[in-house]
Amino acid sequence: MTEVKLSIGYDEFEEGQRIGTEIEKLSSSPESSSLTSLIIGDWGQAYENSSEEVVESLVTHSASFPALRKLFIGEMGYEECEISWITQSDLSPLLPAFPELQSLTIQGGNELSLSELKHDKLEELIIISGGLGKAILEHIAASQLPNLRKLELYLGVDNYGFDGSLADLLPLIEVGKFPKLTYLGLKNSQIQDEIAGALANAPILDQLDTLDLSLGTLSDEGAELLLASDRIKKLKALNLSHHYMSDEMISRWKQSGLPVDVSDKQESDDEEDWRYPSITE
Amino acid sequence: MMRKTGVILPSQSEPLMRPMIVIGIPGDKRTSGIQQARSDLGMPPAIILSYAEFLQGRSLGDLMEEQKKQLPHQSSVYNGVDLSAAPPLLRLESPGSSFEVERALIALGAPDSDDMDDSLHPYADRPDPRPLRVKLACQLTEMQGVLHHPSQWFRGYCRMLARLQREAKTACPGSLWLNDPTDIAAMTDKRQTQQILSEAGIPIPRPVGEDQQPTDYASLREMMLSRRMHRVFIKLAFGSAASGVVAYQIHPVTGAEIALTTVGVENYITRPPIYYNSGKLQRYTDTATISGIVNWIYQHGAYAEQWIPKAGLKGKAFDIRQLVVLREACHAVARVSPTPITNLHLRNQRMSLSEAGLSEPVQEQVRNTAVQALAAFPRSGVAGIDVLVSGGSQQCFVADVNPFGDLLYDVKYRGSSTYEWEMKVLSARDYITPPSTPLIKEGLS
Repeated sequence: MTEVKLSIGYDEFEEGQRIGTEIEKLSSSPESSSLTSLIIGDWGQAYENSSEEVVESLVTHSASFPALRKLFIGEMGYEECEISWITQSDLSPLLPAFPELQSLTIQGGNELSLSELKHDKLEELIIISGGLGKAILEHIAASQLPNLRKLELYLGVDNYGFDGSLADLLPLIEVGKFPKLTYLGLKNSQIQDEIAGALANAPILDQLDTLDLSLGTLSDEGAELLLASDRIKKLKALNLSHHYMSDEMISRWKQSGLPVDVSDKQESDDEEDWRYPSITE
Repeated sequence: MMRKTGVILPSQSEPLMRPMIVIGIPGDKRTSGIQQARSDLGMPPAIILSYAEFLQGRSLGDLMEEQKKQLPHQSSVYNGVDLSAAPPLLRLESPGSSFEVERALIALGAPDSDDMDDSLHPYADRPDPRPLRVKLACQLTEMQGVLHHPSQWFRGYCRMLARLQREAKTACPGSLWLNDPTDIAAMTDKRQTQQILSEAGIPIPRPVGEDQQPTDYASLREMMLSRRMHRVFIKLAFGSAASGVVAYQIHPVTGAEIALTTVGVENYITRPPIYYNSGKLQRYTDTATISGIVNWIYQHGAYAEQWIPKAGLKGKAFDIRQLVVLREACHAVARVSPTPITNLHLRNQRMSLSEAGLSEPVQEQVRNTAVQALAAFPRSGVAGIDVLVSGGSQQCFVADVNPFGDLLYDVKYRGSSTYEWEMKVLSARDYITPPSTPLIKEGLS
């Protein structure tokens, strides 16, 4: 597998370097034909400039990347841009441009759109954000991704753009929506207890290997419902790390013999009962 | 006024052992570390003089005589050389870990202090906000993490350095400073440090407003936006160990702002807020709190510079503390942090430069940059230089020069700890210096 990461630093951007030019250069290099994984990092002050140029350039040069299977748009750390400040764009045009794509990871939810989410071969869709808009959840619910095996969504908090509710998530977990889905991650959420409650006895669990409810505000309330569920017992992995469960609940999980990760216990704020998901920055 | 200044010259043949006098906090990690290293190397102990006693009004000469009397007779003779025959090497240590010393320095910086020698203060004419008179300063009580009057502390600190420099000339003629007090004052003030580095051509993060410095929250914001520098570090000019450091960013489109800092605030209705070191990173997004903190820092003295995206490893970023001893780069640690502020004690991970993923050519560049940075302070022999490597171009920038930056645990250079290495280098290159060659380069200042 060959992988390339392209990134434009602050100074490079100020000096006139552009991500579109870098993508073009890569497309005319000999390695482009065998490239299997492409990571787009900072496209240059991503808190101000959207990923539109990335999309346009990738679509224009898509024929130069016949082996590309994995694409990551927006892999950057806080040193470059806060996740909640990354400005995305409509990434839909990428899908028809890369019909062999298997994995798409997106970081940053601002101005993100996936209006035409149709792809026959996509197996993995991961969206990392501080707050995912309801519109994106609607796009995913309306998508046609028959081969999707892994769906991982960092839902985040309302301060950073999460404007949905449990009702917006329910269409995603309907049986038949993603017939091949085995990995479901609805994580980094401020309504993690509600999500846990809705999933505890959801029929979709029967087709899953892995349920990932990590990085959120899960407390005993949601954990209790999960623990009481028979469907949970069939999972090969249950990720509940970064949580607000009590020591007693943690030990009940440990005694359950289930393949569960209950690491990274969080303490609520001393004075007020605030619980934070992991990526709230 | 003609004054001797100098650098330590390379070793010659005939031995002349200089005794070492350390002015510090007796029994703290630093002075104990030095004594341990000397003992392990079979060297006579250094004479340790106490800042606290010096600040109580005892003269340097008095303190030295007292300490010499307590030394066992044997230790003044080493390798057949009478130590009292050679002028000493003077070494200042950090005054940081003692509240008694901190309070005495704030009192010394008072507007009604007996000692008004501000000759080493690079911004002496700028008044300190709400100055505390001596009597009030002496009544300060220790409160965990509270930053008591930093600018008055720095004024007192510069006065103390000036007094040490003065008294050393008569109390120990011919003595040599490992780091000259003038340099220590300049290294402690980040505005002055960056100015000196910049004039010496050392790469530093771009300051906000090169011609005209911001003076408060409003002017800082205005300059950030007009110069398109949306992410900056604001530093208390004389803060240490991440105290008074803010990683600050403005969203140029929405105007939103985020400040990450260890500064915590306690608000009161009837008196000004108290700012303290919270020990963990705080994240503020409300203008009231952010402007309060930034204005407070600017009242005392601030320096703001471009936030250069640092090189990282697995989602964490790091900078490098590179020790330089007598023009040679030695111990180095990468300080890896899940936050933009790497010198947090909390959650700060140490790694070797190779473990942090730096290539050998970049490591070499780090060392060279650090050596050049210390060379910009020609009267100093030892400093810990904080070097940033930019995540994109892998270019090196000097963020800070720490005159007491050698307290580094668990890192060896050629088999030696930091203090052991310093003592070895000093004995090879300074202690063993024939009296016929000038010990210090004559210079005018």
